[in-house]
Parts: sequence; structure tokens; C-alpha cells
Amino acid sequence: MNVAAVMQAVADRLDTIADLRCFAYPEAALSPPGAVVLYPERIAFDETYQRGMDRMTLPVLLVVGKVSDRSARDQIGAYCDGAGAASVKQVVESGTYTAFDVVTVTSVDFDVVTLAGTDYLAANFTLDIVGKGTS
Amino acid sequence: MSFVHGKNTVITVAAKDISQYTNTSQLTRGADKHDVTGYGKGDHVFGGGLLTGEFSCEGTYDNTASTGPRAALQPIVGTVVTCTRKPEGTGTGRPLETFLALVESYVETNPVADMVKWSAKFTVSDAIATTVQ
Repeated sequence: MNVAAVMQAVADRLDTIADLRCFAYPEAALSPPGAVVLYPERIAFDETYQRGMDRMTLPVLLVVGKVSDRSARDQIGAYCDGAGAASVKQVVESGTYTAFDVVTVTSVDFDVVTLAGTDYLAANFTLDIVGKGTS
Repeated sequence: MSFVHGKNTVITVAAKDISQYTNTSQLTRGADKHDVTGYGKGDHVFGGGLLTGEFSCEGTYDNTASTGPRAALQPIVGTVVTCTRKPEGTGTGRPLETFLALVESYVETNPVADMVKWSAKFTVSDAIATTVQ
């Protein structure tokens, strides 16, 4: 698996969610509602013999409105729902990819991030990605 | 001489290379033992008998047609097939083991929060031929 190709593929898939701005790299100009595919926390090589399988843990940061806004709660609820048109889990897992074999959105944690001096509600998704090893 | 990493191991079963779906394998060589203790002895005395062998492997399930573990192994359960094992990978002078083995079981395991896994067990039939590539 190529990290850049994997990050791009995930971002392209997230970009199919209506009104969500997506970036395949840590873009400084992120504005809500937006999602950014961050660099992998870890790549595990040689999960099987002969470079058969690699595995990576890929974070995706999604930012919605101000923490104090009720609409932000409703927005992040839709993105973090297990199903629905805006569900990150459903949209990402239902995609078809050539950069890797399978992706599972395993968890989401909530956070507050500061962009241009303003605190925004954010969701940190963790993606488990498995694909063929390159050799 | 040096330590050898397991990642280069090559396993074929019935002429199908399942290495890329395998993450661990084990070849056990043993022997029957015969108690030949006679009267008057204070300790058991043993003699060696016929050699035995067991082989097992397991890994991550892949639905690749023909060489994926299900396609390669499920149809041959209960049959004796030719297996090869290259414990140090492919390369001139590296060891190669070739043997016939009865495929005793093929198991698929589906954990809810991980990839589908598979495993297989074999009993070696007849001698294991150890050569170099």
C-alpha cells in the first residue's frame, strides 16, 4: 500500500458526503464542516509471508461548528452515526478501492480543535486499513 | 551463519502458493518410542520407532480465486497432497522440504472486530525430503 494513494482514496470517498470539505493531507486552511485525512499512526508490515499483507491505522479529523452551537451537535451526530448519507462509517466502508483491500472505521473520539483562534467541535475517526504489501 | 526472519517463508499446498495469506506455520518432526526395558532394570530404556510429522499453518483469509486459502484448502480436506516449505524463503542453497500430507482440517474463524482468519492442520504421510534449492 502506498500511503499517499491510500490517503487520497479515503479523502475522495469522504468527499462524496454532501457539503463536507475534504482534504487528503493536513491542510492548514481547513474550515468547518471539513475533514482531513491525517498521516497514519502506524503501518504494520509483513502481516503475512512474502509481503502478502500490510496494515495501517489511519486517523481522519472531522471538524464541525463551534462547540457551543446546537447545530454543531446535530452535524457531528450525523457524521458519527453508524448509518446514513452523512455517516463517515457507512460512506467510507461502502466504497470500492484499488489502493487497498478493506477499510473499517473502528472508533471515533471527540475533541475540540482551535482554528484561527476559534474552538470547534471535532471528531477523530480511526480507520483500520488492510491491503497487499508492495515488494 | 545468522538469524533468519520468518517473513520470507514460502508454503505451497497441492501446487498452490498460499504464502501471502499465511502468517505462521509449524512443521513438527517426531518419532514413535518403544519401551524396551528388561527385567532387572531400575530405569526405562527406550528405542526409536517410525518417524512422524505434523504440519500446521494459519493466516488471514483472502477471497482470491484459486489461490486464496478457502479455494486452495477447503476442497482438499481429507486428501493426501504434496506440500513444500521453504523456511528461509526462495534462494539458491536455502533449504526446501517436500512431503506428502493428509489435510485433516481447514478452519475459518470470524472475529467481530478483526479480519477473518483461517487455519489448517496436516499429518505428514511418508518421509519428509529435505533438500536445498
